[in-house]
Amino acid sequence: MNPSPQDAQPPFIYLNNAATTWPKPAGVLEEVACCLRQPLYEPGRTTGNGSMDYPSAAREALADFFHAGPPEHVVFTQNATDSLNLLVHGFLKKNGRLFHAITTELEHNSVLRPLTALEQDGAIRLSVVPFTDACVELAAIKKAICDDTRLVVMTHGSNVLGSVQDIRPVAEYLHANDIFFIVDGAQTSGHIPVDLSDIPVGAFVFTGHKALFGIPGIGGFFIAEPDAVAIIKQGGTGTDSRVLAHPHEMPVRFEAGTPNYPGIASLYAGIRFITSTGQEAIEKKNAGLTRSFIRGLKGMEGITIYNETPDLPVVSFDIAGIDNHEAGFILARAYNVITRTGLHCAPLVHERIDGGKGCIRASFSYFNSLDECRRAADAVREVAESANPEISSD
Amino acid sequence: MKEYVLNEPLTGSFLKFLENFGTVRFLEQLRKPYFSFEKEQFISIKGFVGESNVEVRYKKEFQDLVGDYFHLLLYYYDHGERGIPALKGQEDSIRKKMKIRLGPLPENGS
Repeated sequence: MNPSPQDAQPPFIYLNNAATTWPKPAGVLEEVACCLRQPLYEPGRTTGNGSMDYPSAAREALADFFHAGPPEHVVFTQNATDSLNLLVHGFLKKNGRLFHAITTELEHNSVLRPLTALEQDGAIRLSVVPFTDACVELAAIKKAICDDTRLVVMTHGSNVLGSVQDIRPVAEYLHANDIFFIVDGAQTSGHIPVDLSDIPVGAFVFTGHKALFGIPGIGGFFIAEPDAVAIIKQGGTGTDSRVLAHPHEMPVRFEAGTPNYPGIASLYAGIRFITSTGQEAIEKKNAGLTRSFIRGLKGMEGITIYNETPDLPVVSFDIAGIDNHEAGFILARAYNVITRTGLHCAPLVHERIDGGKGCIRASFSYFNSLDECRRAADAVREVAESANPEISSD
Repeated sequence: MKEYVLNEPLTGSFLKFLENFGTVRFLEQLRKPYFSFEKEQFISIKGFVGESNVEVRYKKEFQDLVGDYFHLLLYYYDHGERGIPALKGQEDSIRKKMKIRLGPLPENGS
């Protein structure tokens, strides 16, 4: 039997789940192993008669999970970054002319960099809407809209501040004004219920390896009207091979090449885990963990928490008198508390909250415990006291 | 960034030696006594007194000039007091090369 990572070193407290969740549910690992133990099966790509068509099963599960349909409008990609690039560049190609796009200060570089690249190429004009109290409201988006605004790309949940954006009114307004709305749900999918039957998005992006508990290398998006986005990736689809033009039917329209079957299997099992455990139960536990950690730090001089009431299990903070990278190093090596430090691929948020220095981020999952949160908070307080001897946590 | 495993655990006297060449920070009230050493334009070192692992970062723009600096620190530490002026002499030589490459630099990082 292979030893687990915890066997090889002192037990660690993993608080970097906003980057990627660990551990994965046992059922996810078993499903991946099961997938790999048999010849991979997808109609059109084999004459074999496999027992499980993972892509079809996972599409149905995801469509059900997000209350989005039809399942064929759920597209698999490598991750949220891949999805966002396909959608942003595909939308540009479809439009074929200079237009105005809007995004926000809360965004991850998977949104900012494709849009910035297009702006630098002169393909779009770009407005970046600021946040207030960790949120971007519809009023702020409306203020930025111009006559030639065609695209808005916005995060559903901030990976730094943990705030969930109220996307429904934004989606309704943009839909009524024929503006394509791409929502980056990388941080919210699996943490909170997402009901796309009630929210008229253009496209909703998800990634597999965070709160959906899949393995890295799988993600995707739901798209309401596929014709809104041009095809930018062509290749083999397992069907109509005689035809050199890439097919337009969904979902192969946006999927070229052999799928990541183990990744899809992991996503399928991750959805099953969340559904059987209960999204509400997961959300409730995560909220309790987050509150416990914040309680352990709150009120202590020398510790700045950037959002004391996050909607997601994400707590970003700084310790006075010590660089965030240094603090993260000490927490990891001296206390076995694994976090993430720096700008978290979200530079504009940090410009606003910490002058661009970056911060320490602790992020929790269903598999963390209250005891871990308390011990992690104790460790942070010790580092703060050591870096600032004049303060005390008593 | 490189991680080195030394032959022996780091000691307080090594930190005293480092103070001759840059800024040393020592946080001893932690679960493990932490230190950092910063030498502007050259190197930063992080680790824990009593442990053999250290994390070393070189300044990217001068990596080819300062890439051996950590080894020089260890080498001249073994020479005791005599090592200090010898290493400072080596630093001057490195700074001259930096100057040629980039023009005038700030005064030494101590």
